[in-house]
Amino acid sequence: MDAPIVAVENITKVFKDQISLPVRALTDVSFQIQEGEFVALCGPSGSGKTTLLNLIGCLDQPTRGKVFFDGEEISRLGQQALTRYRLEKIGFIFQDYNLIPTLTALENIEYVLWLQGIPSAQRRKRALVICERFGIAKLVTRRPPQLSRGQQQRAAVARAVIHKPRIVLGDELTANLDHKTGTELMDFLKELNREEKITFIYATHDPMIMARASRVIRLEDGQLVDDLRQY
Amino acid sequence: MFLLKLAILNINRNPRRSFITVLAVAVGLAALIFLWGFSDGTIERQRDNVVRLFTGHVQIHTVGFEQSLSPELVLKDRLGIVEKIQSQPHVVTLTERVKAEALIGTSQNSRGVLMIGVDPLREPLVIEIREQVKEGHFLSPVGNREVLVGYRLAEKLGVHIGDKVVIMTQAIDGTLAGYAYRVRGILHTGSLDLDELSIYTTLQSAQELLGLEKEVHELVIRLTSRAAIPGFLNAVKKTLDETPYEILTWDDIIPSVNQWASWAEAIIRTILVTVTIVIGVGIMNTIVMSVFERTRELGVMMAIGTSPAQIIRLILLETLVLECFGVVLGVIAGYLVTFYFGIVGIHFYGVEEAFSATYMSTVTYTQVKGIHVIQSILTLVAVTSLIGIYPAWKAGRMVPVKAIYHSY
Ligand SMILES: Nc1ncnc2c1ncn2[C@@H]1O[C@H](COP(=O)(O)OP(=O)(O)O)[C@@H](O)[C@H]1O
Ligand SMILES: [Mg+2]
Repeated sequence: MDAPIVAVENITKVFKDQISLPVRALTDVSFQIQEGEFVALCGPSGSGKTTLLNLIGCLDQPTRGKVFFDGEEISRLGQQALTRYRLEKIGFIFQDYNLIPTLTALENIEYVLWLQGIPSAQRRKRALVICERFGIAKLVTRRPPQLSRGQQQRAAVARAVIHKPRIVLGDELTANLDHKTGTELMDFLKELNREEKITFIYATHDPMIMARASRVIRLEDGQLVDDLRQY
Repeated sequence: MFLLKLAILNINRNPRRSFITVLAVAVGLAALIFLWGFSDGTIERQRDNVVRLFTGHVQIHTVGFEQSLSPELVLKDRLGIVEKIQSQPHVVTLTERVKAEALIGTSQNSRGVLMIGVDPLREPLVIEIREQVKEGHFLSPVGNREVLVGYRLAEKLGVHIGDKVVIMTQAIDGTLAGYAYRVRGILHTGSLDLDELSIYTTLQSAQELLGLEKEVHELVIRLTSRAAIPGFLNAVKKTLDETPYEILTWDDIIPSVNQWASWAEAIIRTILVTVTIVIGVGIMNTIVMSVFERTRELGVMMAIGTSPAQIIRLILLETLVLECFGVVLGVIAGYLVTFYFGIVGIHFYGVEEAFSATYMSTVTYTQVKGIHVIQSILTLVAVTSLIGIYPAWKAGRMVPVKAIYHSY
């Protein structure tokens, strides 16, 4: 077996602040994910899915345990290195799309390439190509409020994958979509996963969306209770 | 470029709020420009008044004369030096004067004054003295033993046009000399001191009284402009053996105007800093609000790889863009207002006496110096940018996870 792209070793995450009691969001969770997997994180609300995605996505650091990305431990990296990591290797899709509302769909997609310092003409070309592929080429000059939810989420997916990240993380990415649009989006992601070998990890509590995963990791009360491969 | 575009788009999100902020910058800056224009205009006019009405640009005396007014300290080699001065660059014309302390009296009353003997033909070419004669006439070149007195002196002595007065002084031989003179005109010089303490007579009469031949005490020189003074002084240094002479500029003779100018500038600088701090806090408030409103968006931007430094740059740029719009608008408005009052002038009524003590005119034509506008803009941009670091720095320090799940 190849080296895993993501490895989580005995991570525990405790949220502490001055006001409330400490909250244990994850307890001693371990698993590995291979390149090209299409993984669903599921579990009831409050079970720690978002927390786990944030740890994998270099947005947060575990209280105990280690997170490896491509064999490198990222759980102890500094702020700057984490930013770099997120920019180069990771794509994010959020529940409410979170496109930058002042920018057009195309500019939102270009934004990541701008962060990477890619020249403007090249940026535009690449963004247009991906929009074509995503079926939103006609909408690129619209700003997010002028797009439907499904269209916004497609633009958000395009933004998440344009820089060819190694993994894409999605948190409840279909929660705000109707059933049909949601399953369509998942089919589309699945296609990207097959064709581009992009590893997807997404959190959901929708069984229909879960069903499309090649592997389902189940959390309950911050503990890993199930890890199933399905075909 | 992309960042600038993003900054402009962000500012445009709440156009009304941004516009109000820009307006605050513009109004503040315009007010500062106007204030400078008012001050610069007033001071320029004061300087002009002093030169036009009293001192000329440069005066030459024998060393010690201005201090002691000793009648024997006449100008050495008078003709030679007049010729040399006249051939200097920037010189328009010059005139000669005799000056002495004297006593002017009627049968009832007498007062100590400064008697100034002027050349009736040349003096008006250097000093606007004709315009100061409000009653009667200026000295005539042919008339003898005529005198102009300030209106305050005339009141104190109780004399009118045509009245006889006696002027006495100590001649150079030490004897006391006195003649009767006829009042030919009453002066309103615009200077309370001069109106009370000085009298004008013809050069010839004054020389006669003092027992002088053709000698004089003072050369008053008019140059093309005040700006020509340094060049003129340099040139004079090269051609004239200065040792027996004391060369004084208008500023040396009446230093209070430039002292007053420095004082006014210090006050305006204080106002400038205060106003820019207030403006800066206003801009900061706008930016703090706009950052708070898009906490989540900024969190997402950071999550997808925007570095804190880039966030800081973006927010600073937003401050800067607001400033720029404000500055452009403010400069235009400030110049328009200053230009307008530079033409119509700002009139002050009923304050002649107070103003004349400082050589101020009762009308100010605003006139702004470019350097002061640039200073104001630089101060504004520096101060507001400095204050603007705070919200930018705070935005850059946000933790993306917290920001993304931030609830309003
Ligand atoms: N920033 C935080 N501070 C305190 N508690 C938190 C924070 N984020 C999450 N939690 C808590 O951690 C637990 C797991 O949350 P989360 O990972 O959001 O679950 P899920 O995404 O599965 O709904 C919950 O009990 C939640 O209240
Ligand atoms: Mg969640």
